[in-house]
Amino acid sequence: MPETGSATALKDAFGTLNAPKASFRARRPVRRRVPPVLLFFLLVPLAVEAFWVFWPALQGFWLSLTNWDGVSPPTFVGFGNFSELLGDPIFRDSALNTLIWLVLFGGLSAVGGLGLALLLQREGKGVGFYRAALFTPVVFSLVATSLIWQALYQPDGLLNQLLGGLGLESWQHAWLADPDTALYAVLIPALWRQVGYVMVLYLAGLKGIDPSLFEAAKIDGAGRWQQFRFVTWPQLRSVNSVVLSVIIIDSLRSFDVVWSMTKGGPYHSSELLSTYMYAEAFQSLRLGYASALAVVIFVLAFGVIVAYLVRAFREDDQ
Amino acid sequence: MSQRSDAGLSRRRFLRNAGLAGLGVVGAGPLLNACATSASSGPVTQTGGAVTVQSNLSAPAAKSAIDALVTAFNDRGGASASVNTVASETFRTQLPSYLTSANPPDTYTWYPGSLLSGYAEKGLLLDVGDVWQTMGDYSEAFRTLSSDGKGKQIFVPTTYYWWGMFYRKSKFAEWGVTPPANWTEFLALCRTLQGKGIAPIGLGAGGNTPWIASGWFDYLDIRINGAQFHRDLLAGRKRFDDPKVKQVFATWMEALPYFDPSGTAVAFQDATTSLLQGRTGMLLIGAFFADSAPKDALGDIDFFQFPIVDPAVPVAEEGPTDGFFASARTPRKAEVAEFLTYAATAEGQDVYIKASTGTVLPTNPGAKDSGTGLVTKGRKLLQDAKELTQFFNRDSSDALQPTADSALVRFIQNPNEVDSILTDWQSAAEKIWNA
Repeated sequence: MPETGSATALKDAFGTLNAPKASFRARRPVRRRVPPVLLFFLLVPLAVEAFWVFWPALQGFWLSLTNWDGVSPPTFVGFGNFSELLGDPIFRDSALNTLIWLVLFGGLSAVGGLGLALLLQREGKGVGFYRAALFTPVVFSLVATSLIWQALYQPDGLLNQLLGGLGLESWQHAWLADPDTALYAVLIPALWRQVGYVMVLYLAGLKGIDPSLFEAAKIDGAGRWQQFRFVTWPQLRSVNSVVLSVIIIDSLRSFDVVWSMTKGGPYHSSELLSTYMYAEAFQSLRLGYASALAVVIFVLAFGVIVAYLVRAFREDDQ
Repeated sequence: MSQRSDAGLSRRRFLRNAGLAGLGVVGAGPLLNACATSASSGPVTQTGGAVTVQSNLSAPAAKSAIDALVTAFNDRGGASASVNTVASETFRTQLPSYLTSANPPDTYTWYPGSLLSGYAEKGLLLDVGDVWQTMGDYSEAFRTLSSDGKGKQIFVPTTYYWWGMFYRKSKFAEWGVTPPANWTEFLALCRTLQGKGIAPIGLGAGGNTPWIASGWFDYLDIRINGAQFHRDLLAGRKRFDDPKVKQVFATWMEALPYFDPSGTAVAFQDATTSLLQGRTGMLLIGAFFADSAPKDALGDIDFFQFPIVDPAVPVAEEGPTDGFFASARTPRKAEVAEFLTYAATAEGQDVYIKASTGTVLPTNPGAKDSGTGLVTKGRKLLQDAKELTQFFNRDSSDALQPTADSALVRFIQNPNEVDSILTDWQSAAEKIWNA
């Protein structure tokens, strides 16, 4: 797990920095100076980060307190945008859709990815091919993917032809044009791609498990389920937290697939917070309101990341 | 919308916007402006004194037309110009950044409307009154359209086109039907076609072209309530839940059973294919649809005027106009004026139209159109009209268009919810008007 790893490394580094400091102090009470090269390596990235990330982020927060059309100077409105959010039915729907998206996109990709990883874990003839095939969608541009799926979903597209061929004419549907199915129709291409990604993460995790644990479990008479429940699953704990944060962040920033397939339509039925934010900013030119939406998304994503980091550090301390 | 350009978008720019927005960087006041000078105009080079023409005409036919215009302009000596083509979605979202940057592109393809008047109010647009000095023979309608409403000319129109109910002559002959003269005859025609197992009315408001549905709203509103009410409504001086607007939808409901059931599922390009293959009978669309029609089918295409609903209402038609405006901050005012003057001449428009697919009409009365029967008929349609409207997003704003898309697609799918649709539309529109 890279995050915890780097955190440990960081603490080790501080540890070694502190240790000699203490011993030096006994002999030479001179204040140890930080080498200028180290300062340089710390301050330059910090300045870059501050200019390109922190400063614009703060500006975004400030903009969320204003009304701005992108051209005239912004006018300050306090928390007006946020109170408008509370009464905005489209915001409510898109928040709900984002939640549905989070649960389905996150849950199904985690379960599917784990299942496929377990299935393709063992080496054998053709396994490499299947792994590659399942990972291929990750390589494709999501916008190109969306265009292909859009064609599949057309009223006379492949999916409806297939249903017709199976004698299921009554199931034929304008998948992307019907507000009842649009969100789920968009979800499938996103899942199709994410499953391969999660599978690779789990495959790496499974590779890291010491085979002697399984041997020991077998000798103890553990069945397949018991091996999974008591050996594999606990060993995957660290991978699970990576997968969890990846899928939460990925679902909150899901945008391109929805925008290129439905633009959040028909009539906002497949709107996510991200697409609604984009539409408000660049179609309605209400950049203040869009910034308020961005702040909401930021708080959601940030909350998850902080909760995750706190847990990771706490585990490290134990 | 209803621009002659494809809906393609630059994914990188697009994702960058999205990514920035996701970080809460959406607007970053002064920072964004600072970025815009360095990042927004892409590969534009400001050296050498050539007038930069920022173009959103990325469809092949339209792109070759503007390239031809610029080449002809450069060949005649004097100032020179260079085209910088940008995907239309990027162009639209970056326009405020272009105009507020310190070193903006000089001149831009666009259309007249509330967006331009808004920029003019903020002093961002070049006064092109001196170009209009050379355009004395232009019709008064174009002059009014190109003004900022306060007596300043901010736009130079070069081409326009018309909307109509398009059909295939051979199919109509095969089905034994003729174009209708009014709404009643139109409904009768629809019934006849439906009886023959054909979807009478194609739409194409699915995919990425939901705005096509606004053509129906515009036409029914100008036929029933007249052009002035339509303009007032779109400017926020009337309400969408007005009984007069309800009347528009009541009339639309009479025709709704004859709409192609996949009308809200396919984009207009696919709806065009359906029309050409005879699966649908008619299609209300702008002449630009011919850009995506095969050349050999063009000779078989004809159109009729959107049927008259109330003969007492003065006839108005949609005649969306395209052309150029310029940035107030250009350091090359004289050269920009020279380019715009050339684009407004009969010669410049002949060059442009010859290189395009030929369904656009020149704004200069002295310029030749492509002379096909279809174009001659289209030009006459607009000349005979008492009033011209532009199109929903041009008469209102691009920001209002998505509210119409939501309302109209929802109406076509759930016509019985019309009351709540109009209430929602009004409240969505108020947010835009008050922004």
